[in-house]
Amino acid sequence: MLPEAAELLVLAAAALLFALVFAPAAASRRNLLVQGGTGMVATAAIAVVPTFDLALLTIVGLGVMQAGIPGKRTLAVRLRAPVLAVAVLAFALVFLRVEGPAVLERFAAVGLVAGLAAAVGLFPYIHPFAADEPVAASPIVWIAFVGPVLAAVVLSRAEGLLSVDAGQALAAMLIGLGVINMAWGSIASWLTDDTAAAWRYSFLADWGLVLCGFGLTLSDGRRAALLVLFGIVVGRLPLYLVSREPRAERVTSEGPINLVVAAALAGSAPFVGFAARVLLLRGATQLFWPLALVLALGMLLWLPGSLRLGRSLGRPRGRQAFGVALAVAVNVAAGLYPLPLLAAAKL
Amino acid sequence: MIEGLAGFVAWLGASVVVLSDGRRGLALGAALSTLALAAIVFSGAGPVAGIALGVGGLTAAARRLTVGVAGWGIMPPGSTPRFILCVGGGLLALWIALGVTSGHSSALRFAVITVAGLAGARVLSSGESSVLLTSVALLALATAAASGLTEEALAIWPYVGAAAIAAGVGWLPQSAPRAA
Amino acid sequence: MPSAAVLAPVALPLVAAGVIAVFRLAGMSLGRVAAAIGAWGAVAALLAVWIPVRSSLELTLGALGYGSSFDLRIDAVTFAFGLMIATPTAVLLTLQPRTWQEMSISLVGLASALAAIEGGSVVLTALAGATAGTVAIVLLETEDPRAPRPSWATLLVGWLALSWVGVMLQVGGGTAVYSAVPVATVTAPLFGVLAVAALLASNLFPWRTWPADLWSRPSLRAAGITVAILYPLGFYLLVRAYELGDGRYPHPLFHAGLAILGVTAAFAAAARAQAAATRRKFLGEVIPFFGGFALASIAIGTALGLVAGLVLLATAAAMVACLALLPDRAGLAAMVSIAAAVGLPPGLAFGARVIGIEATFEAGDLLGLIGVAAAAAWALLMVGGARAIGLPGGRGHPATETFAGVSMAIAMLTLLAGPAIAAVQTGFANPVATEVMSTSALGGGLITVDTVSSVLPAVTLFAPLLILGVLVYAVAGTSAIRTQSRAALFKLPEGGIWQRARETVRALTVPEQYRSILNIRELEIAAVGGQPLLWLAALAALAFAVTR
Repeated sequence: MLPEAAELLVLAAAALLFALVFAPAAASRRNLLVQGGTGMVATAAIAVVPTFDLALLTIVGLGVMQAGIPGKRTLAVRLRAPVLAVAVLAFALVFLRVEGPAVLERFAAVGLVAGLAAAVGLFPYIHPFAADEPVAASPIVWIAFVGPVLAAVVLSRAEGLLSVDAGQALAAMLIGLGVINMAWGSIASWLTDDTAAAWRYSFLADWGLVLCGFGLTLSDGRRAALLVLFGIVVGRLPLYLVSREPRAERVTSEGPINLVVAAALAGSAPFVGFAARVLLLRGATQLFWPLALVLALGMLLWLPGSLRLGRSLGRPRGRQAFGVALAVAVNVAAGLYPLPLLAAAKL
Repeated sequence: MIEGLAGFVAWLGASVVVLSDGRRGLALGAALSTLALAAIVFSGAGPVAGIALGVGGLTAAARRLTVGVAGWGIMPPGSTPRFILCVGGGLLALWIALGVTSGHSSALRFAVITVAGLAGARVLSSGESSVLLTSVALLALATAAASGLTEEALAIWPYVGAAAIAAGVGWLPQSAPRAA
Repeated sequence: MPSAAVLAPVALPLVAAGVIAVFRLAGMSLGRVAAAIGAWGAVAALLAVWIPVRSSLELTLGALGYGSSFDLRIDAVTFAFGLMIATPTAVLLTLQPRTWQEMSISLVGLASALAAIEGGSVVLTALAGATAGTVAIVLLETEDPRAPRPSWATLLVGWLALSWVGVMLQVGGGTAVYSAVPVATVTAPLFGVLAVAALLASNLFPWRTWPADLWSRPSLRAAGITVAILYPLGFYLLVRAYELGDGRYPHPLFHAGLAILGVTAAFAAAARAQAAATRRKFLGEVIPFFGGFALASIAIGTALGLVAGLVLLATAAAMVACLALLPDRAGLAAMVSIAAAVGLPPGLAFGARVIGIEATFEAGDLLGLIGVAAAAAWALLMVGGARAIGLPGGRGHPATETFAGVSMAIAMLTLLAGPAIAAVQTGFANPVATEVMSTSALGGGLITVDTVSSVLPAVTLFAPLLILGVLVYAVAGTSAIRTQSRAALFKLPEGGIWQRARETVRALTVPEQYRSILNIRELEIAAVGGQPLLWLAALAALAFAVTR
């Protein structure tokens, strides 16, 4: 198994444990355990299976199972994105395996990028979202739970399959989509009406950084991507789960804990997002310094949305307060000393 | 010759799935595509793979025969765009399989492209659960069949996995979306 | 001295913060004692590490994971800025009552700021500085969410810019360690970004920003701590920039430009101060004035200027504590504080400003004009100070937070320390100049300050002035001081230009005929609608793009 994927799997398991322990009272823990456990198994399968075809089939199976969970969206809406993802990735595999003109490899690169974006739910393949849908049935599962492992698997396999020319095309597309997702996600997180949608867009923004990191094709880029994925799975996702209090109790407030959470979500120091940004700027500076300028400017867009999301946490009490503190503390630790995380992923 | 025929039948089956709204039509299309893919895989990857694929797909087809909108529902009113999609998609796949790409088994290339493409398009264009799940089953079979395009030694697991998925999707509980 | 000793100034406040929090959660309040121990411990640690050896002590542990090693260092620069940050913070934490949350957060902020200046590389400084900025925002919001605070965006921009400087140094020169960066790596564009980062970190601008705004908060507990820990950091970066550039900035224009910016900021602060409606508003402009003057001195590019700037910053640090403890009511404390702030002779501020202006003349070319402008700004501040004595106090602060006696004592100390400016320069500021400019120490010793063209006999000149001043006060008391309100020398244009500009921008609307194109809500609905056609179109667009 890829070390990165293994590490992300462990983090996903930790996130599931967090959800079980700190989930709002309205959520059924038994359902969460069954659904979450199934998702974990499928995600692990994506990382473990020896061939890419099996990984695609696992995605199909996972998509179908998730679509079967009771939720607000119709079956058609929930199936479209995973099916498109698998279809496009399958086409990519076909183009990689057959003999033909060199442009076929570039189309394969398109398929890999588009398939990944469609599976995770990134722009322009944003999954339709219903604010009150249970988390297990919502697109958050793809963007924050399965997606990180999927991205690591798809992009690492792509490295071995693509030629240099197609690899460059892949990298360019990743960076382009990354920048667009950064901008779209951060601005939408700030301006959208619904708070739950704002949270979802904030995941999108972080994924923009991930795509840029993978697109930089330097070790610093991959390190940055891993740290952002860490922040998504172990920071943003747990905080999102805590923010989903039952409607009657939901208040917004701006106390110190809300600001600390906002800082963590915005990628401010000393949280893991800042270390990721430093690595990303380093990689971009090595590759093409104007890109670093664009990224730096884009990073500023996180602030207004993060302040909003921080406030949406309200005043966590009791177990949830402890959960928030735990998520924040883990983020701080990783932000100050990310080396063990990177070493574990052999980066 | 047989492979060519199989390729054509695969396209035909996928097209029937695209053009049908009723469970009989869907079952027929699924069965045709399954048999064609199984035949191609049988000759390429071996009998076990072909049989696995066939069993999975036919199980899906059989299940479809019992669940879904009653009747055939082939080419209902308003299905002209779908018809054009089938013809156009088939021609495009043929061109890619024969004119653009090369390698062993052009029939496999054609079958995979056409079945995956049409099944994917069907999922994107329909809201009916029986149609969706049939298309997903076909997509899984096509994905597994695509593993035969590689030069490496073929493993059985993609075919078995696809068969399991194809056979299992028909039993997915179809809950209605909850109202606000 | 073991290398691990460099950890002490950072670790002690952190440990104290943790202890306060743990004890409070267990139901026990440690009061201000623990906070005082943590803060004064940091001061003591700095003194204990530096004074016996008076040379750099460095601790380098392994890599951290983002291109930097864990590298902390205490040298002359760290010592000077560390005292500027830690001492006023310690005073405020000792005296002012706070909730346990505010105490813990303040100590974390102090530790972060000290880590920023102890950081051996630019990246570490950026990380710690950004942490200090975040902590300061949290502290201010914890105290009063409705009161003015710094813009988080400008703080974040500054520290992000600095981190970019750090990575550019790593990429271009192989390292971002201050003492090891190849001089050729510090190009003009890179320095430009660094300068912007420094200016944003301390908000060193001619317009009214948070170093002035914070003083208008209803309570000055958090304001004092914030200014104490954040304000010196921008100057720290500009001082370290000399080390990066082997004693100078990459281009003379940077020296001139930053010096002009500094004197402009000082002049603007003085102009606002002389038009202030209350004494508190006047005092709010004191720190920006000090900062502008210090920036002009530091940026000039000579050792003398650097030394003058550092002494000014040290005086400003003392004034931070003084102003945060000063009650708004009229009285001797207010008068002495104003006297110290405006730089009445023979105070430390007076001496440092004189040296700073001297430095601009000695720098040559047209830089002397900066000194003339600085002198004009100083004169304006003095006029404002004279006026401020008769102004109404301000909104007032909780009595438990103010300590008139201590405030007056601090102000008095800066006035009395004027004759000792040579000693301060020798022991405090000179080593910094030697460290970053690689020049030999300025001459003069403990009694005089030797400049290029003259000698300032600090003790022999200032001491008699001091004695004279004491005698005058003993004889006349404060009866000769008239406290009636006077008109401002000149009124500033009606405030709110930025506010009006912002409102104008907000009021802009898209013309009716274009709204359907630029409707963001519609765009969002289209993007998240899961439209297959949109998805396929995007796929086609990507496929087209790769064939180009």
